[in-house]
Amino acid sequence: MLLEARGIVKTFGSFHAVDGADLTLAENELIGLIGPNGAGKSTFFNCLAGEARPTLGKIRFRGADVTALSSAAHAGLGLARTFQVPIVFEGMSVRENVMVGAFLRHPARRRAEEKADEVLEFTGLAAQADMLATALGTAGRKRLGIARALATEPILLLLDEALAGLTSAEMEGAIALVERIHARGITLVVVEHIMEVIHRLTRRVLVFNQGRVIAEGTPAEVTHIPAVIEAYLGRRAQGSPESRAP
Amino acid sequence: MRASLRRVLIAIAILLAIAPVLTQDAFYQRIAALVVLAAISASAWNVIGGYAGQVSFGHSVYFGIGGYAALLAFTKLGLPPIAGAPLGILASFVLSAIVGLPSFRLRGHYFSMATIAIAALAGLLVTNWGYAGGAIGLMGPATPRSPADLLFRSPLPYYAIFLVVLAILLVLTWWMERSRMGFYLRAIGSGERAAASLGVPIRRYKLYALFISGAFTALAGSLYAVMIGFIDPDSGFGILVSVNMVVMAALGGAGTLFGPLVGAIILVPLEETTNALLGGGGTGAAYVAYGVIIMLIARFSPGGLAQFLPRIAARKSPRAA
Repeated sequence: MLLEARGIVKTFGSFHAVDGADLTLAENELIGLIGPNGAGKSTFFNCLAGEARPTLGKIRFRGADVTALSSAAHAGLGLARTFQVPIVFEGMSVRENVMVGAFLRHPARRRAEEKADEVLEFTGLAAQADMLATALGTAGRKRLGIARALATEPILLLLDEALAGLTSAEMEGAIALVERIHARGITLVVVEHIMEVIHRLTRRVLVFNQGRVIAEGTPAEVTHIPAVIEAYLGRRAQGSPESRAP
Repeated sequence: MRASLRRVLIAIAILLAIAPVLTQDAFYQRIAALVVLAAISASAWNVIGGYAGQVSFGHSVYFGIGGYAALLAFTKLGLPPIAGAPLGILASFVLSAIVGLPSFRLRGHYFSMATIAIAALAGLLVTNWGYAGGAIGLMGPATPRSPADLLFRSPLPYYAIFLVVLAILLVLTWWMERSRMGFYLRAIGSGERAAASLGVPIRRYKLYALFISGAFTALAGSLYAVMIGFIDPDSGFGILVSVNMVVMAALGGAGTLFGPLVGAIILVPLEETTNALLGGGGTGAAYVAYGVIIMLIARFSPGGLAQFLPRIAARKSPRAA
């Protein structure tokens, strides 16, 4: 087992953002994490990435307890992430942004630069390498976020809505990129809102609602589970005109 | 583009090296020495405040420690003032370790406010510390007892000493800028969350930056005390000492190698000439100009002249498709 999260609870005051969520990941899996807004996906995700410390529960990565480790330590162990709203390093070129990630395993500048160029090639950003990162559009920034994370040479990559806000052409490119990353043997967890993406990319999804995993299965299976439909669309109100309709 | 910019800056550096020799007037030679001294502390500030983006408004605390270390070494131990510089640097390391760890938990404005508080507190403590001269301050040697006292009539020897220190600091910064540390500091400065997610040990690197920054600021304080031969709570720990460093770096370009030097070349002569022209009553005039400069930078060019000048150049040349 690559990653194992058991009974994760994260509270903010009296609010239970994550309320007893479990996840197990095998090597080289590609799973989806879906759920309505506010379902606790992001918080759970932050717990996995070491950015938030779970109030309760344990996370093991390759058998080692990583629950209390910092986000930087997670990266060191090979657990990388991207952000829903990409944060680019201002005043640095696209290549330099990626080098920040590459320096983790390659302290020498020259080697970090080589690694960055290799990743830029792989992610299709080579042509923009010398541009200021802030000059990139949304799609470019998201791609840069992925490139930077890849430069840390992760075993597991957590993608937080890496495809949201893209045009359909950009989305095709991004899906192809995720597939290429997976083909490299990297395990992936993708948080997504767009069901089409989930259908195409993943074979297993976890559906989050109110801090819990309410369903698990193939994308086709979960979309037919009543609890999932209810979580997304709501329940029919008792006595509403529709429910009385013949 | 970048290479030509570098050539210009090298030219400025050479000009700076020969400037005081060209003029025989001790007034201008003194200004030149003060420019380089200010460039040292502003460049030192730049390591943590510019590259790492941790805007300290309390760096006077290091400057004061350095200045007092020099003159305490003289008044209490009878040593040449410069012998106090290593003690000042040592004290700066201790202070960085004590102050850095808790204050680095704060971000943005909260960090800046904490640094102001620390410097104000240090100023108060020294004012009430009779052993170190209290509110009156400390004096350096009146006549040189040995060459080691570094007491010269002409400002030129000071100018030369300061220039060597500045060169060491700039080479160190240049090397840092190109190495992993420089990348990590800039990443921390523009997004701590993202930097941490890439494995950057945030607090460790901030602390490294503070060690370098504080040590050179303390050294600048010692050099100031050696040249001026006097330090008191205001000239060592005053808020204006900190503001000077911030404004110079910001005007020239915070987080750039030569930005603080450029800022010092512009602002020190401005301050010295207004002081000379307006006399004692006009000491505040330069700070009125500083206020205007801060507003202009914030409004039009947060990256300082280093960002502003290339932009003007780009506007003049036809835009590439």
